[in-house]
Amino acid sequence: MIELKNIEKYYANKGVKSYILRHVTASIKQGEFVSIMGPSGAGKSTLLNILGMLEEPTYGQYEFMGEDITSLNERKRIELYRNHIGFVFQAYHLIDEMTVAENIEAPLLYKKVSGAERKSRVADVLDRFNMVAKKDLFPNQLSGGQQQLVGIARALVAQPSVILADEPTGNLQSAQALQIMDLFKKLNQEEGITIIQVTHSEVNAGYGSRILHLLDGVIKEDVTVEQTV
Amino acid sequence: MFRINLKIALRNLLKHKTASLINISGLAIGLAASLMLLLYVQYQWSYDKQFGNTENTYHLMVNFYGADKSITGTTPQASNVLPAVLKEERPEIEHISRVLWASRRLVASGQSSFKVEGRYADPDLLRIFKFNYMSGNPDKAFDDPNSIVLTESTAKRLFGSADVLNRTVRFENQANLKVTAVIEDLPPNFTYGFECLTPWKLYENLNGWPAEPNWGNYSYFTLLTLKNGTDHNAFNQKIKNTIARHTGTKNLDAAPFVYPLEKYHLYGHFTNGIADGGQIEQVRIFIILALGILAIACINFMNLSTARSQKRAKEVGIRKTIGASRGSLVMQFLLESFILTIVSVLIAIVLVELFLPAFNGLLNTKLEISYASPANWMGFIALITLTGLTAGSYPAFFLSSFNPVQALKKAVALKNNFGLSLRQTLVVIQFGFAIVLIVSTLILYQQLQYLKNRPLGYDTNALVEMPHEGNLYLKFDLFKDRLLNSGAVSAVTQSSGSIAFQNSNSTGFEWKGMAQADKKVSFDLIQTTHDFLKTMNIRLIAGRDFTKGRASDSSGIMLNETAVKRMGIKDPLGQLVFFNGKQRPVTGVFADVLWDEPTRNQHPMAIVFNAENSDVITMRLNNSRGIQENLDQITKITKEMNPDFPVELKFVDTLVAEKVEHEQMLSVMSNLFAGLCIFVSCLGLFGLSAFSAEQRTKEIGVRKVLGASVTGIITLLSVSFVKTVMIAMLLAMPVGYLVMDNWLMQFDYRIVIGPVVFIITGLSSILIALLTVSLQAYRAARTNPVDALKYE
Ligand SMILES: Nc1ncnc2c1ncn2[C@@H]1O[C@H](COP(=O)(O)OP(=O)(O)O)[C@@H](O)[C@H]1O
Ligand SMILES: [Mg+2]
Repeated sequence: MIELKNIEKYYANKGVKSYILRHVTASIKQGEFVSIMGPSGAGKSTLLNILGMLEEPTYGQYEFMGEDITSLNERKRIELYRNHIGFVFQAYHLIDEMTVAENIEAPLLYKKVSGAERKSRVADVLDRFNMVAKKDLFPNQLSGGQQQLVGIARALVAQPSVILADEPTGNLQSAQALQIMDLFKKLNQEEGITIIQVTHSEVNAGYGSRILHLLDGVIKEDVTVEQTV
Repeated sequence: MFRINLKIALRNLLKHKTASLINISGLAIGLAASLMLLLYVQYQWSYDKQFGNTENTYHLMVNFYGADKSITGTTPQASNVLPAVLKEERPEIEHISRVLWASRRLVASGQSSFKVEGRYADPDLLRIFKFNYMSGNPDKAFDDPNSIVLTESTAKRLFGSADVLNRTVRFENQANLKVTAVIEDLPPNFTYGFECLTPWKLYENLNGWPAEPNWGNYSYFTLLTLKNGTDHNAFNQKIKNTIARHTGTKNLDAAPFVYPLEKYHLYGHFTNGIADGGQIEQVRIFIILALGILAIACINFMNLSTARSQKRAKEVGIRKTIGASRGSLVMQFLLESFILTIVSVLIAIVLVELFLPAFNGLLNTKLEISYASPANWMGFIALITLTGLTAGSYPAFFLSSFNPVQALKKAVALKNNFGLSLRQTLVVIQFGFAIVLIVSTLILYQQLQYLKNRPLGYDTNALVEMPHEGNLYLKFDLFKDRLLNSGAVSAVTQSSGSIAFQNSNSTGFEWKGMAQADKKVSFDLIQTTHDFLKTMNIRLIAGRDFTKGRASDSSGIMLNETAVKRMGIKDPLGQLVFFNGKQRPVTGVFADVLWDEPTRNQHPMAIVFNAENSDVITMRLNNSRGIQENLDQITKITKEMNPDFPVELKFVDTLVAEKVEHEQMLSVMSNLFAGLCIFVSCLGLFGLSAFSAEQRTKEIGVRKVLGASVTGIITLLSVSFVKTVMIAMLLAMPVGYLVMDNWLMQFDYRIVIGPVVFIITGLSSILIALLTVSLQAYRAARTNPVDALKYE
């Protein structure tokens, strides 16, 4: 579903190009659970942003579900956000003025899902994440782990084909982090949702099926994880 | 989507209370002020357009030509014969009617007797204007000269009812008139308004002389309608020579023309025959004020929301990643600004209702919001849309343009110089406008004081006047003796007009050694008998006042200093001046009296002995007794001697004060609006400084830990704001100077703009800005650094 060919990204500063990604070529299939690893500053977030079409590569080819992204217009891209891509952020990025339920409902509003259907889907997700009691709370009334659960619920509610997560557990304690990883694994295995996450933790990466090791903008290693569980 | 956005907008409003309060109060004040001003503009705009057929209704005017065939003057008054002649010669004219200036006319029925504004007009006036008739037939109402048309209020005051057709009204104590029609009261924004209307024929019957055809007396207003489809420019060409043809003059020196009545009020000022404005200038000032103050309030809104943009940016980023389009974000931010605007409009309407009475008092109008009128609702909606869009557009388009990655990363790009300098630019505009207003206010005030302090040349203290009418004509000498003997007054005189304002002038004075062109010199003219200078307390320079017992005085003339200088007479006393068919010896020379507008230059003035032309009796109260006692006594004597007329005593100093009413009004208005502009601008500045202090909490904390003092931090936070205000000052002061210098040009008697105005303006605006800003800075500087650093 994702084809990267020779992706390059650099910033030109006073004529000096500083490369962030070099010759990145990769192919990710539907249903994979990929972890991107590497030291800080390696370009992991940049790569994920490019995958999520939040940033444009300076050079190279990117196909998402068979479509050439480089020539995609704004409307088409918003279409993809609404129907195929869910984002999960390290800093959760919930809307502070919205309650838990409203945060989860928001993508459906943009997707123009009918009121009744919205209600049932939000209720569904709340139920599944055990957050029914918290649905009317505001984000600042939740713990970090709970906020991230809401973040994932929000990414999930629109039934995307891929979830892009940038260090989703970076701000969490390990117990909560493992809960999130269990959830990802379940989503991946039971619903076939493609998951691409950036992580620093070998343990987290162990939940996935494949690891891309990034170093100085170059993919050094592409390993398939032995399923231990 | 809409519902949740609405909910979020309201939550945002409540969460940021200071900003919301500043936005709403600023917008409400701005909207209230502009609503009031726009009501006034609408009032001016609908002048003379109430009675239909406006596109065919015209005002007869006359251009005067000089020797070089250029137009030297334009008057809205014509002779008494011209209208009839035009009607006979020009088939394009549908209706034409003369209208006399409005005067206080005595109307009476049984016990009730009072004066109302009355006019005389030809029967056609009732066909030109489609008044709203409660009873009567406009086509027949003036068939009989002894008829009268009343307005509803006049009818009710006279008879206690409006159903008074065919009842009798005693008019001016001279004639019994039949009520032939009752119309609804006329609006105040109608140039030819009246409370009672009587036929021109009656005017001629009662006075005789107005019936004499006279081509040379340009005294009468004339209104007319042209038949549908007549081109008035072509028509004007056809009537251009009418006066010359009938008076047999070879050179064209007076040419009539018609001018659309609907333009007469707003564009009624002519220079060299060309309409160059009029009341429209004031309307324009009001529109600029209205939009300016509204803009200032909108700028507050823009500034505060962009200042908060870093917080909002995150939201924009998130929404974009979950599928928000730019359009939906724009709508969301506009929704927020519209909610604020609507709340503000509601408050503004309350404010308008509260302050409209005072505003009406100031402008001498009866403005009101008529909630039933669909046009007003359209206006409200237009105002809300305009304000909501202006206030909301910048945040909406600015915030929605954020790139999600940058927004979420809190990238430096958000703090770019452009955003900051734009905000400062807006503050500069706000304060610039306010500073122009302060400069104008100060200069207006100085000019007003200057006009008020201009020496009058007579003493208004304890000087009262009353109309000379009824029995007081025949028994004036007895009346004067009784007043003097009663001890209520120390001096009494009669005159052709009030001392308070210029009411008559004339050309055609002749004297020895004059040039031919001097015949056209216009003299202010007062006709009187004895004791004029004495009563008014005018300083004599040579000769004497007209004195009883001196037979020669009864053909005498007195001149003011300016007249003597203008005439170039060396030794004026005893010299003969020919005027009004008589050689008159100069019996006195007196110091200049300010008779015309205080803004105008001194004219030559002549005081001529003439007992036959008197409208006003002026008297000086006896200073050694109480004022009320004096007035009571005068009233009693007058009532006894002239029982048919109400007693109307007026203090001359009040009349004189009315002469600067317009300037006084402008001064109050500018005070008010400068104050409001400053206030709303300061609200915005307060909000911005609060925001900047909040944003820099951490920096302040660090600096304090490093040993910065409270004053040091206040300076740090205030300096950039003060700099902004100073830039505004530098830009705005020259503008204020030019505007006001230009304004002063219309006055002959005016102040010179000095540096003091600018020093006061500069110091006060910096002081105000500094106070506003440092309040916040002080609060920020006083917080414990530990609290600040614990954040994050
Ligand atoms: N707008 C930018 N301009 C210049 N350099 C940037 C910009 N954004 C990111 N970088 C640089 O790109 C590199 C990779 O960043 P990132 O992808 O966030 O790394 P990672 O997520 O692996 O820690 C970093 O060295 C960062 O400094
Ligand atoms: Mg990163």
